[in-house]
Amino acid sequence: MAVNSLPVTLKNITKIFIDPHSKSRVVAVDDISIRINAGELVTLLGPSGCGKTTTLRMVAGFELPTKGKIFVGDNEITMLLPNQRDTAMVFQSYGLFPHMTVAQNVGYGLKIRKIPKNQINKKVNEILDLVGLSDLGDRPPARLSGGQQQRVALARALIVEPSVLLLDEPLSNLDALLREQMRIEIRRIQKSLGITAIYVTHDRIEAMSLSDRIIVMNKGKIAQVGSPSEIYINPASEFVAGFIGKATFFPVKIDSVELGVARVFLDDKEIRIKRGAKETEGSETGRILTRPESLKLVEKGTGQITGTVKYNVYLGNTVESYIQTKFGELMAQIDNPAINKIYDEGKQVDIEIKPEISKLFASE
Amino acid sequence: MFSKKKIIIFIILAFFVLILDFWIFNTLKTDFIKTVEEMYETNAQSIADGAPRNPEDVQNWINNLQLQEGNSVLYIVGSPFSVKDLYSISENERLTEYFNKNKESPEFLDAMESSAYGEKYILSDSVKIDNNKKMIIFVPVTDPEWWETVGTLLISFDQKPINDFTDLLNVFAIAIFSLFVIVYFFGKFTRDPVTNYLIIIIFVIIGIFIAFPLYQAVKLTFLENGSFSLDLWVKILTKGQYLEALWGSVKLGLITATCSTLIGYLFAFSVTRMRLKGKKFFSIMATLPIISPPFSLTLSIILLFGNNGLITKQLLNISDSISIYGLGGLVVVQTMGMFPIAFLTLSGVLESIDSTLEDAALNLRASKWQTFRTVTLPLSIPGIASSWLLVFTTSLADFANPLMLAGKYKVLSVEAYMEVTGLNRLNYGAALSLLLLVPTATAFLLQRYWVNKKSYVTITGKPSARLTELTNKPTKAFLITAMVLVTVFLISLYGTIIAGCFVKNWGIDYSFTLENWPEALSRGKDAIFDTLTLAAIATPIAGILSMLVAFIVVRKKFIGKRLLEIGVMIPFAVPGTMIGISYILAFNTPPILLVGTASIIIINYIVRELPVGVEGGIAVLKQMDPAIEEAAQDLGAGPGRIFRTILLPLIRPAFISSLSYTFVRSMTAVSAVIFLISANWYHMTVLIYNFSENLRFGLASVLSTTLIIIVLAVFGLMRLLLPKNDLLTKTITK
Ligand SMILES: Nc1ncnc2c1ncn2[C@@H]1O[C@H](COP(=O)(O)OP(=O)(O)OP(=O)(O)O)[C@@H](O)[C@H]1O
Ligand SMILES: [Mg+2]
Repeated sequence: MAVNSLPVTLKNITKIFIDPHSKSRVVAVDDISIRINAGELVTLLGPSGCGKTTTLRMVAGFELPTKGKIFVGDNEITMLLPNQRDTAMVFQSYGLFPHMTVAQNVGYGLKIRKIPKNQINKKVNEILDLVGLSDLGDRPPARLSGGQQQRVALARALIVEPSVLLLDEPLSNLDALLREQMRIEIRRIQKSLGITAIYVTHDRIEAMSLSDRIIVMNKGKIAQVGSPSEIYINPASEFVAGFIGKATFFPVKIDSVELGVARVFLDDKEIRIKRGAKETEGSETGRILTRPESLKLVEKGTGQITGTVKYNVYLGNTVESYIQTKFGELMAQIDNPAINKIYDEGKQVDIEIKPEISKLFASE
Repeated sequence: MFSKKKIIIFIILAFFVLILDFWIFNTLKTDFIKTVEEMYETNAQSIADGAPRNPEDVQNWINNLQLQEGNSVLYIVGSPFSVKDLYSISENERLTEYFNKNKESPEFLDAMESSAYGEKYILSDSVKIDNNKKMIIFVPVTDPEWWETVGTLLISFDQKPINDFTDLLNVFAIAIFSLFVIVYFFGKFTRDPVTNYLIIIIFVIIGIFIAFPLYQAVKLTFLENGSFSLDLWVKILTKGQYLEALWGSVKLGLITATCSTLIGYLFAFSVTRMRLKGKKFFSIMATLPIISPPFSLTLSIILLFGNNGLITKQLLNISDSISIYGLGGLVVVQTMGMFPIAFLTLSGVLESIDSTLEDAALNLRASKWQTFRTVTLPLSIPGIASSWLLVFTTSLADFANPLMLAGKYKVLSVEAYMEVTGLNRLNYGAALSLLLLVPTATAFLLQRYWVNKKSYVTITGKPSARLTELTNKPTKAFLITAMVLVTVFLISLYGTIIAGCFVKNWGIDYSFTLENWPEALSRGKDAIFDTLTLAAIATPIAGILSMLVAFIVVRKKFIGKRLLEIGVMIPFAVPGTMIGISYILAFNTPPILLVGTASIIIINYIVRELPVGVEGGIAVLKQMDPAIEEAAQDLGAGPGRIFRTILLPLIRPAFISSLSYTFVRSMTAVSAVIFLISANWYHMTVLIYNFSENLRFGLASVLSTTLIIIVLAVFGLMRLLLPKNDLLTKTITK
């Protein structure tokens, strides 16, 4: 199978719903512009109700944008009906046709395209092989496991060789283990076909492990676009930082910013930090974003923050150490517990912030 | 979507179509008018040719003149040159009046002058005489020998045929233009034209076939000689006769609803809440009357208990002192016919009451009777109220049973029918059926929006397999006995009809014969054919239309959706008599002249049975994941294809019940149809009624039996023709 993959462009897309009961306006998507390159897998990530599904459904044609334009390649598709566009969607609830067999489900799109029967059969077998369902063609979808149903939905969308593949939380109905397997599976298939894909999820692990780029959305707006590591290490806002991983913030006074390095004080302890320094120029106070792995436990008197160990959680390769400080309870992650020191519960410790994996934000 | 270019093209095109449309229809109109005028002229000439030349013969000639209705002649005696000496003779006083008033007018003088020269003259404008528009032609009566005009005929021709036809043309012209505008507009300017067309079509159907006739009926009751008046209502509401009928209907409804709900509860409770053999049999017996034709139970009651009934006359000989005609007989027949409604409603409710609740009560040391009284019964009260109201509405709207069995007892539906057919007073009929609408609509709305909301029962779709027996032995024995008695009575009623087919002359000569069959079938074969044809045409249309409406209501967003829902549901609450009357009112005049055709009956079936199908469709669609259709559309399927390959197979159960329901109801219709049948299109049920009225009970029995057989056969056929989808059954029952 070869897919003719095309870039997707959203230009100033806004979607306003009128609530049927209260007649009030809901701005579901607020003036977003995105370009997704050919062959790229991009996830829309964000909290519930931030407009991810709405965005995806506008690309598929199930909703009309209130404002803005959508392009696939160079063609504008904004007003086309779903059946007139070259996109294929995998639904959250799969939407499998219960009155057809797996093979009939998968072949449905080809039948509509008036492909000869023998060719349909051949292609259906091919794609069922690809998703690992070769033996289940005659079953009704209701007698498949969740993961198998999910793969039928994927196969049904892939077989029509769409220019764009749209996936709306396709794994949310599966258990954790299956979810992990299917994630890898979807990524493998998408890569091997080189298909442009937009993937909606509110699960950050899913987004990080799958995407070429992540688009973080909040309240209908784009909060940040970037590769998973960019977004994790260099989040554009405190919201993104908090949404993409566990984050603890400490209030600091900003003393000076020189040559891209900020000198800040946490209480009276000095910290020099590079990331985010430029943007804070001119501000007097700020907040330092830390991750569990940027908090190092050290002997009392040698770190910037003092605290008491409340309890430790052993996870094998790491230990999560929960510390009570005057900034509240926070968690430090200790890698390689066999080598690094673990402080016992009730013990007083100091915490050292590793500035190279932290980021400074100016106070709002 | 709304680019300037498209809008300009649209406006230009619309303009062109408007001109073309106008031109075509105007040409047609003028051509037609010309033809008619020529015809009238020829007609006028031939009248003039036959007119006497001698003034003394004129009166006699005019008296004997045979003219078409609406036309009249005035003879202006004397030479038109000497206008002063003229006098006129006519049968029609209004025409004379009109002539005397206008004879000095310039146009009349012109006309007389033409006549003097031996030429015809047509007045340029039509004139109003007797509230009707007339075309006036002046024709000279010439003396053939002298070529001299001795008199002039003023002939007025009825304009009505012309007006009717031009009205029709106007309607067509407007319809074609609007059709173009709508089709083009939605096709070019909206994203989903198919759905939009469908919505418009449904609105048009509601407008023309539901709102318009009902409006006409209501309007008629407020009109007296063409202007607004409350006279009719004052008469109806002050005359004892009509109020008596209203009370009669309500009283009958109250008793029937109570009896039916009791028997329905008895059956429903026994079948769903007791361990019992033969549940299936009792269920079938308790649903059978629903599909049996309207007159069949009445017929057998008359055969058994009538003035010449087998039991009342032959066995007991009490028919002189006891009469089945009246309230008593009606209650029996209606209860037998309507307790199935209560049974179906109540068994659904009782089935979904979880036995665990009863167990819990028993566990708290309630006795069985206390458990029933404090748990089971209160939980089923909304169901009881619902079924009571449903039966009440049905009883009030019932027309067939009272028509044959009411005797001197008065009910509104029959009174309305008598006013229309017996006394030819459509306005009284309309008013009476409107009066009937008050209690039926009230009960309907109560049932719909009040009782249904109060229901505690949540249908889990998992009727529990366990049953806690709440009855002790004697109670159980009592319940079963009661059930058996009702069943035996029902069976004997049906048995009587079958027996009636083979008896020579019921009530007098009970000897066996086969003669009824050939006679009934040969006399009824046209009616049978008509009935079947009409039902066969209406059934698929109603089935598909109801699924489409359900789909639109559940899945589409559009302005006026609530209005559409209400519009489609109205016929459900309106008694058939009312619909029948409003249909003859609305469709016996142009532009939509349908009375006497098959289409009026078919449309009536479709409109009346639509609500039930729509409700069924809505219930199924609401449970269906919209992603299923979206997936199909996403894969490239258009609306038609989605409907055919996805929706129809998935809503098959609702579709089939809609089909079966429409078919049965069309085959067994009476109340509305009795107004709409004609010599060309007859209905079996009306024929059954006619046979029984003429005491030809044998023939009536044969036709009733035939009708039952046809209905059952088509039921079976429908199941065969619409094969089950194995995958789906597996899915649903998984
Ligand atoms: N058909 C609709 N009518 C009215 N409001 C709607 C409609 N669809 C979505 N909304 C509103 O638009 C906003 C965005 O909804 P959307 O479904 O896009 O969120 P989401 O990001 O997909 O959330 P989730 O993660 O919960 O699926 C919400 O506030 C929602 O209530
Ligand atoms: Mg969503």
